[in-house]
Amino acid sequence: MGIKNDRVKFNVGGRVFETTATTLANAGRNSMLGAMLDENWNLLQDNGSEKFIDRNPDCFSVILDLLRTGELYIPQNISEKLLYREALFYGVLDHVRSAKWGQFDGNRLRLSQSVQGQAPGDGTAIRAGPDGGCCVAHGCMVHVYDWMLDEHNPLNLDYQRVNDVGWVDPNNIVIGVSERLGRGDGGIGLFSSHDGELRYKFQVSHENHVKSYTASALSFSSDYKIFSSCKGRSNEYGVGVWDQVTGKQIDFFYEPLGWSLGDADKVQWLEGSNCLLVATMFPRKDNCYISLLDFREKKMVWCWSDVGATLAVDEKRVRDAIAMEDNSSICVVNEFEELGFMDLRSSAANSVRWSSRSRLMKGKMPEEPCYPKLALHGGQLFSSMNDCISVFCGPEWVLTSRLRRSYGGSICDFSIGGDRLFALHSEENVFDIWETPTPPII
Amino acid sequence: MSNQKKKHFQIEAFKHKVVMDPKYPDKTWKILEDAIHEIYNHNASGLSFEELYRNAYNMVLHKFGERLYSGLVATMTVHLKDIAQSIEAAQGGSFLEELNRKWNDHNKALQMIRDILMYMDRTYVPSARKTPVHELGLNLWRENVIYSSQIRTRLLNTLLELIHSERTGEVIDRGIMRNITKMLMDLGPSVYEHEFEKHFTNVSAEFYQVESQRFIECCDCGDYLKKAERRLNEEMDRVSHYLDPETEKKINKVVEEQMIENHMLRLIHMENSGLVNMLCDDKYEDLGRMYTLFRRVTDGLLKIREVMTSHIRESGKQLVTDPERLKDPVEFVQRLLDEKDKYDKIINLPFNNDKSFQNALNSSFEYFINLNPRSPEFISLFVDDKLRKGLKGVNEDDVEVTLDKVMMLFRYLQEKDVFEKYYKQHLAKRLLSGKTVSDDAERSLIVKLKTECGYQFTSKLEGMFTDMKTSQDTMQGFYASHPDLGDGPTLTVQVLTTGSWPTQSSITCNLPAEISALCEKFRSYYLGTHTGRRLSWQTNMGFADLKATFGKGQKHELNVSTYQMCVLMLFNNADKLSYKEIEQATEIPAPDLKRCLQSLALVKGRNVLRKEPMSKDVVEDDAFFVNDKFSSKLYKVKIGTVVAQKESEPEKQETRQRVEEDRKPQIEAAIVRIMKSRKQLDHNNLIAEVTKQLQSRFLANPTEVKKRIESLIERDFLERDDNDRKLYRYLA
Repeated sequence: MGIKNDRVKFNVGGRVFETTATTLANAGRNSMLGAMLDENWNLLQDNGSEKFIDRNPDCFSVILDLLRTGELYIPQNISEKLLYREALFYGVLDHVRSAKWGQFDGNRLRLSQSVQGQAPGDGTAIRAGPDGGCCVAHGCMVHVYDWMLDEHNPLNLDYQRVNDVGWVDPNNIVIGVSERLGRGDGGIGLFSSHDGELRYKFQVSHENHVKSYTASALSFSSDYKIFSSCKGRSNEYGVGVWDQVTGKQIDFFYEPLGWSLGDADKVQWLEGSNCLLVATMFPRKDNCYISLLDFREKKMVWCWSDVGATLAVDEKRVRDAIAMEDNSSICVVNEFEELGFMDLRSSAANSVRWSSRSRLMKGKMPEEPCYPKLALHGGQLFSSMNDCISVFCGPEWVLTSRLRRSYGGSICDFSIGGDRLFALHSEENVFDIWETPTPPII
Repeated sequence: MSNQKKKHFQIEAFKHKVVMDPKYPDKTWKILEDAIHEIYNHNASGLSFEELYRNAYNMVLHKFGERLYSGLVATMTVHLKDIAQSIEAAQGGSFLEELNRKWNDHNKALQMIRDILMYMDRTYVPSARKTPVHELGLNLWRENVIYSSQIRTRLLNTLLELIHSERTGEVIDRGIMRNITKMLMDLGPSVYEHEFEKHFTNVSAEFYQVESQRFIECCDCGDYLKKAERRLNEEMDRVSHYLDPETEKKINKVVEEQMIENHMLRLIHMENSGLVNMLCDDKYEDLGRMYTLFRRVTDGLLKIREVMTSHIRESGKQLVTDPERLKDPVEFVQRLLDEKDKYDKIINLPFNNDKSFQNALNSSFEYFINLNPRSPEFISLFVDDKLRKGLKGVNEDDVEVTLDKVMMLFRYLQEKDVFEKYYKQHLAKRLLSGKTVSDDAERSLIVKLKTECGYQFTSKLEGMFTDMKTSQDTMQGFYASHPDLGDGPTLTVQVLTTGSWPTQSSITCNLPAEISALCEKFRSYYLGTHTGRRLSWQTNMGFADLKATFGKGQKHELNVSTYQMCVLMLFNNADKLSYKEIEQATEIPAPDLKRCLQSLALVKGRNVLRKEPMSKDVVEDDAFFVNDKFSSKLYKVKIGTVVAQKESEPEKQETRQRVEEDRKPQIEAAIVRIMKSRKQLDHNNLIAEVTKQLQSRFLANPTEVKKRIESLIERDFLERDDNDRKLYRYLA
């Protein structure tokens, strides 16, 4: 009748669906549904006839609803896995993922799932991937989960103890491990997150000799550099820098006398100031050392240490540190979950300004305490203590939420990424996934 | 059951294995392979997308991804080899069209193949780290078609030939050119660069080398530049129509180098049409073209600037040293202003107001204006002329413009203090004789000088204006307190502050009794209101209006100087007076008296006196009579003084000397200021600093500075270091 007929009829596994080309266009041209409607494939067919698809009709109905509304509702009778498989067939798995949970907000998190692992021994670290997956380091293995929480092949580097692990992008994971004495093993490896294959091993050379080393904390920059705190056998302590693309070592910052860089607990690349935060804490060392390195000038541009501080204030030992570039400060935490702040703008070593917020924890330590950890995400500050995670907001860092789950014991590590928070427990081999629910309907 | 019959069972391990039709992958692949053939043969309408997609999906699902991928590579390669052959077979002009058509076909086929194999692209390709289907299709096209030995050079040559014929004026199909270059870009920037761009720039360089040689032999500079500009525009047009935008920089560089950079000097110095001719003839369009073209190449503007500078200096030097020009200062300055205007216009319009050119212009003017030591005097005379009469009937804005231009010239002067000297003299004359046309214009110029040179420079000039104003009030006060003076002669006194005015201490002449009595009254009035002051009369600078009745009853009002008045008043009581008598009665200094008598007796039409004998010069034996036959059409007659407007040689010397004299304390002050802050300084640095400090007023002469240093040492302001004689110390 002059108006173009927008309607499309499908027969999926025997059930007829009718929708519009506009709805299907939401799937995008790079999907099976998008290609199916492309004029390349529709030269002779008239719009009245059904298009047959030999797939599960129940799942198609969920996916069609997703394309119509942008929201995902999975009925009881359909398993998530089944739905994911069908979505992959139609090429709309990304749509499903982004509709599955909402944009991250530390104050609205809900526990979505707990995953039990098989690895013996305590977990070392958990790291959220950029697209909602995660990896967990246990002893000498790293277990990799995609966002559907399907486990992929585990990673290992010569079966050496893993000290740190991190995602450089959704497809690649870097792990840093201890060396095995006299064998030249250890160091840093880059793995495919899909199949667990080793792609590169990063070497350290000193005066043109390749040396074996122990890699501890890792960090990555947006211009494809990898930073790692490295400890060699002789005096090769410091921070190494590699290019992710070529796999070549491009720099090495040697540890100055009387300082600690080579076995850091944390390194953090600061994009804004082009510096690397390196923090070594008790009990790895007797004292705590925090410094900022400028690689272009080969200079330590800021440093702080508690060497020489009166240890009567034993409880004020720094256990984790994180740089907050927006506030030009470094936040630290002690074992009673007290937060302290240091100004980054004055280069001289200055003292920690402890916020006298709470001493609630004092006197009721659990049997197996874990050291507190810090994380920063979207202007919210997170700190883990025993079996819960506290969320702090605003310029004064007010405590706004507390995430707790009774099962699994203390939290030994947590990580935020891909709009999810992952928390790894120390007593049971279990990690929790916290998500922000999708926005309310009205 | 018997034992014999007991069977020995062997329990086989359960095999977790799905038995699949062993021919399954071959069968499925066959379906897909056929589909790919159909797609390449434009026969895809019968294909079912859903079925093909499902088959490809199943192959990947059942771990036949590798099989699927390698099959795709093989099948596509076969088709591309066919395509390459059909393109190779295309004759002449249809070659590019065939290539373009096949490229479009391939792209469409590639899209459809990717649609079918989308699942493989999404899952198998990243995990097996293969090249994605679309990129694979481009790579295979590149390897099998573009790099085919029959096509590679032919493609390049065809493209270059077409561009060449377009350059020689033919019309080519730009659409197909655009499609082909876009194809090369799609295959990767490096393909475009290596298969086309690199050769294109080389060939272009050759082309333009030859062409520029031909042009330069037969064209004049303006024509050549026009042609070069057109070529540049053509190349930019070409890039925008069918080449990659990145090519623009490269091809521009080629044209610039071949057409301009290689011929720069020859163009600038081209006989009868080069830069100097353009400047002389105000060829704005050509100059503008030269500027925009030369700006594109290294040192292009530098070359223009050098030639322009030397031309301005040369012609300026001629102007200021031409003895003909020195005769008329006003004309001299006007010529300078015209010259400045001319080049200002050239720099503003064709040279895009380029700062570096403005600087070159300024330094050139500074150079040649100071070649003539009389420039400061002349500029002041020019201003004097303008302010006396030149600005009559001209509106305020134009006055400002003229004054601003003069200030430009003033800025170029090195000896600003000489200008100041002359300006003061000229201003004094203007003020005292009431000749100035516009008070506003005068003040505006003072403000300009003040912003240029600071308060010190103009404080005395401003003092002169204040004196004038105060005198007016004083005179009002005087007449208000002496109401009885209504009938007699009117006296107007200007009280001048000593030091502000360029007065010479001159001998006061004897004034006529009426006037002198009035002067006494004024003196007592003035000293009565201002105690502790001293008044002395500058009779050489005043003027008077006299009412005169001649022998035949003709009445006139004579406008004369004070000296002339004194002389004329003597004739109220006598008909004949000898020179000697006049001299005795008036006590006017001899040279002034002679000049005064000359103007009264010897100027035709103004000769109110008669001299005997009637010779040109006034000598001591002459006798003077009232000229009863005097007649004039005008009632008011202005008796001028015979004064040289320009300074005479001895006067010049005197002014010069006064200037030199005035500089001495300034140089000394500068030395002391510098030494006081530095405590010690070596000779060369001291000279340099002094010169720098004083350059806003004048260019200090190093020998003079040295003399001043010596003098300061004598007076114990400074001492020489005992070890290093070149080092001076300040003595507090």
